[in-house]
Amino acid sequence: MNTYKQPLRALFRTNNSLASTMFARTLATATSEPAAPEKAPRIKEFQIYRWNPDDPSSKPHMQTYSVDLNACGPMMLDALLKIKNEQDSTLTLRRSCREGICGSCAMNINGTNTLACLCRINTDTAQTTKVYPLPHMFVIKDLVPDLTQFYKQYKSIKPYLQRTDYPEDGRETLQSIADRKKLDGLYECILCACCSTSCPSYWWNQSEYLGPAILLQTYRWLADSRDHATAERKLALQNSMSLYRCHTIMNCSKTCPKGLNPGLAIARIKKSMAL
Amino acid sequence: MSALRAFASPLRAAISRPCLSAARPAFSAPAVRHLGIPPLIPQPPGGIVGTVNDAAKVPPPDKFHGSYHWTFERIIAIGLIPLTVAPFVSTTAFSPAIDSILVSSLLVHSYYGFQSCIIDYIPLREFGKVHHVCMYLLLAGTVVTGYGFYKLETEDVGLAGTIAKVWTA
Repeated sequence: MNTYKQPLRALFRTNNSLASTMFARTLATATSEPAAPEKAPRIKEFQIYRWNPDDPSSKPHMQTYSVDLNACGPMMLDALLKIKNEQDSTLTLRRSCREGICGSCAMNINGTNTLACLCRINTDTAQTTKVYPLPHMFVIKDLVPDLTQFYKQYKSIKPYLQRTDYPEDGRETLQSIADRKKLDGLYECILCACCSTSCPSYWWNQSEYLGPAILLQTYRWLADSRDHATAERKLALQNSMSLYRCHTIMNCSKTCPKGLNPGLAIARIKKSMAL
Repeated sequence: MSALRAFASPLRAAISRPCLSAARPAFSAPAVRHLGIPPLIPQPPGGIVGTVNDAAKVPPPDKFHGSYHWTFERIIAIGLIPLTVAPFVSTTAFSPAIDSILVSSLLVHSYYGFQSCIIDYIPLREFGKVHHVCMYLLLAGTVVTGYGFYKLETEDVGLAGTIAKVWTA
């Protein structure tokens, strides 16, 4: 028993001594080196849209906040959260993943719809950065838009695999590598609504026109080789409003924070439905 | 009393907000203003009909307002390119038949363009009868222009001839 414990103890002892030397060295480094020179603060102004539903009689207004960029992360979301944490806890915004995969923090920053977490702060402190909620949407509070209609439209396109039959062996429905490649550039959409809310046609007719995000998703299911509901999906678009309000303005493709091309997807739907 | 209760229950106050409530009252909220004109027919806020869990309604299919319309629109638009270029490059006198095709395509093309504008900015859902009146006005205008072009083609030198005359005048 003791015979094999002995070398183990020795090992622990060595490790302990190593750790204590390292700790001592860290302390020594910290005390011996001169303190880094204090950087000049880079104060950046942010103008943020504010509206409080609890005070509905007061109009929306822009509120200015100053943030020292030296003490702030590089992204717009960092600045917004810094303001919320340190200056004004009433500032309301949606956020979740902070890495551009959830689509919660979609907002209009300096006139462009984008995700706050993927948008770098413009480090030119002479310029004020303006932050608005997604344009032409009903506002719930501050930077939080009402996306109810957007999600209702998403539901209306039946965004799931529809099949008439499944493989006999009860295993998964297979797809060739070439067929899977057709879904690249479509499945990455996170439904942040940046494209739909940048589309003038969606602004005017959002209760009837589906908008680029939902049409990209429609095409994602039309292009899927495993889906059997192509005819029904196309029939649902056979009217003047749902699809054909797209006038190829291309704001959608320009603004997409994920670099997708909803305009191309819509053009492909139109082409596949032509005659 | 009700105000007191709402104050006492912030949760209820939260769920009774219009954006989160299940049944939305159809009040005339400041909806989309087309060309600066508020809609004649009151619209539900955000265009939302039904509860948050209902899917948006899919309109009844009509290929003549859907794919057939779009395809025809594109054929006319693409066809206009050679028809417009032809009179400039042709050395011989321009055939009245081709000139008539150019004129009628141009007329249909502009009819579709204006029709699209009416659907966009004077939508049926918000303007009802006014939408139809605008459509009839457009049709009447197109027919009158068509008659003018018919006179030009049959009794005068046609569109290409007229432009050539103005060009050299």
